[in-house]
Amino acid sequence: MNRAAKNRALTACLALVGCFTVFSFRLVHLQVTQHDEYAAKAADAHGLRQVNPSRRGVIQDIHGESLAQNEPVRTVIADCSLIKDRGAMAEVVSTALGLPRAQLLEKFERETYSQKEKKNIPAQYVVLKKEVPENVAMDLADALAARKMRGISFAQETTRVYPNQQMLCHVLGFVNGDNVGVDGIERTMEQYLRGHDGFRYTERDRTGKEIVPYRGQEKEARNGYNVKLTIDMGLQNIVEQELDAAIKQFHPKSATVIMMQPRTGEILALSNRPNFNLNVQDNVPEDHRRNRAISDMVEPGSTFKIVTTAAALTEHIVNPATMIFCENGYFAAYKLHDHRPYGDLSVTDILVKSSNVGVAKLAMQLGDQKFYEYVRRFGFGERTGVNLPGEISGVIHPPHTWSKISISRMPMGQEVDATPLQMATAMCAIANGGHLMMPQIVHDITDEAGNVVTPFAPQEVRAVVSKSATDGIRNALIEVVSPKGTATLARVAGFKVAGKTGTAQKYDPKTHQATHDKYVVSFLGFMPAEEPAFVCLVLLDEAQVSHDKNYGGLVAAPIFSRIGERAARYLGLTPTAEEPAGSVVASQNIRD
Amino acid sequence: MATNRRRHANAIPIASFMTWGIIALFALCGGLSYVWCKNQLYNTGTEIHALERELAELKNKNEVSLSKIAQLSSTAKLQERYDTGFIKLVPITNDHIVVMSNTAPKPGVGELRPVSNERTGP
Repeated sequence: MNRAAKNRALTACLALVGCFTVFSFRLVHLQVTQHDEYAAKAADAHGLRQVNPSRRGVIQDIHGESLAQNEPVRTVIADCSLIKDRGAMAEVVSTALGLPRAQLLEKFERETYSQKEKKNIPAQYVVLKKEVPENVAMDLADALAARKMRGISFAQETTRVYPNQQMLCHVLGFVNGDNVGVDGIERTMEQYLRGHDGFRYTERDRTGKEIVPYRGQEKEARNGYNVKLTIDMGLQNIVEQELDAAIKQFHPKSATVIMMQPRTGEILALSNRPNFNLNVQDNVPEDHRRNRAISDMVEPGSTFKIVTTAAALTEHIVNPATMIFCENGYFAAYKLHDHRPYGDLSVTDILVKSSNVGVAKLAMQLGDQKFYEYVRRFGFGERTGVNLPGEISGVIHPPHTWSKISISRMPMGQEVDATPLQMATAMCAIANGGHLMMPQIVHDITDEAGNVVTPFAPQEVRAVVSKSATDGIRNALIEVVSPKGTATLARVAGFKVAGKTGTAQKYDPKTHQATHDKYVVSFLGFMPAEEPAFVCLVLLDEAQVSHDKNYGGLVAAPIFSRIGERAARYLGLTPTAEEPAGSVVASQNIRD
Repeated sequence: MATNRRRHANAIPIASFMTWGIIALFALCGGLSYVWCKNQLYNTGTEIHALERELAELKNKNEVSLSKIAQLSSTAKLQERYDTGFIKLVPITNDHIVVMSNTAPKPGVGELRPVSNERTGP
């Protein structure tokens, strides 16, 4: 090889070495120095984290009837950049979804500014309709596929459905657009009802299609737990129907019925009026959403006399037969009236006749502090702790803030503000022998297979009064429902009923005085009196009846009677009373 | 001698060709198998994907059916059907109800009673 040839060969070799050195440097630069950056870009372009959505748990009644259920729905989304013939697309979508064609055309013509292209481009994500039923969405997908049209996609979602609509609306509550509970059981049991979404790391090709063999780490979704309530829908239905009938008859401003199992504190039925349809929540007034059983304060009226009497009996200040002079109907020192002029009445008769003077004298014998202590022991002035949101504590003023006449007013349920649930809970304590039970609405939490995850056992708050005292009160309350008492119309054929009526004048915030035309009437009782299966409170606010008929014994007691009769049949209670109620004649004492 | 050398010099190395041929064949088969397996993997992946979609659709249909059943068997719906006369139920009146006591009263002293079906309370 001559010298020139050698030089050419050397030059070629050096050029090649130079080239490969440059390539090698570039390769090292890409693979080592910029590895993380390009790996991230590749992951962005091809990597995908698929979310596997979990299902929200269902809410059931005590027998497993579904009260809140999930229903799969689709959100229909348009990618306007892929739609070729907008008119034809609008025609197909309009027919399937029932949307106006003009509205769809307007959506298809929407544009967004693209940073990349520095100009307006057709919008790639336009929501056409939410909560489209599964079958409608599938029909639309088939129609589009048959016409080979592109640009419409369907996002899988679920919506919450409440099969019983209005029924139990204040207990169940509802969820927001993100399926998060915002009221009722949906809110308080959110941590159990909410599931945990699963995920899967995978890769996709340049068309966006998943490359299944490249699937990576994966985690299964954990569906939410089911919540079983103590509510019995059979009893709830009875309560709802009778409450509807009462609303038709009396047109009250609001009404509440609570039914509880006294031994355990379980709430068997709870209903308020006004109510609302859980499936149609547009334009529902805030007032209708309120669970009045736990968030409204009312003066209990004469039903509160059971607290005073039970306290006096527990402290052995009196016994059921002790005679109390009732000042012939007017206690001048405290400007306190009775409905009728009573002379000497036994403690039992004070309850039976609902004597204001008599019960005030019992409280005076107890003393301010002792009386206040018993009121608090019955749970008034503090939240019951029920598993529902928005519960208030009510108002019980401490003795050092009382006026001179407070000791004569509070024993008969004035100057006291309590929630309907507190009243029902207090009566449960009388019905079960003196144990204050925490009201319970959740029975247990179960998984999908039905295994109990978290049981909610009945909880006794404290022993309130003695067994002998509750026996005495029970006998008196049975007399209240007898022909000589104030609640004759609460009788139930074949059963002994125990209960107390209440009629409270409403307080006028303008005049700071009790009104004479607005009343809260109530009946609070239990049956069968010997072995109570349930305690039931019926409370109506401002029933539209004439002044002389607006009493708990005339308005609320008959509602209790009808509920009691149907509930006894539903529960299969064995009649115990020999004397059937038959035709009941309202006694003269009924005005309370 | 010269003829012999020429014959050896032009000999075709069949064994060597065969060896390389077989190696090439194995390599070819290996390559094709790899491609075939890879293809199978993708096809199976596509099938898995399709089956998963079908399963998800079936789950959705099941959820829809469960929701429908819950609505149709709800207390409110049954009450509505009862009210409209779709379900015919006749309320049992009190005079048609016989209440039977679980326990029979204790017999009086010396009283003769049939022994069948007799239960004495505590």
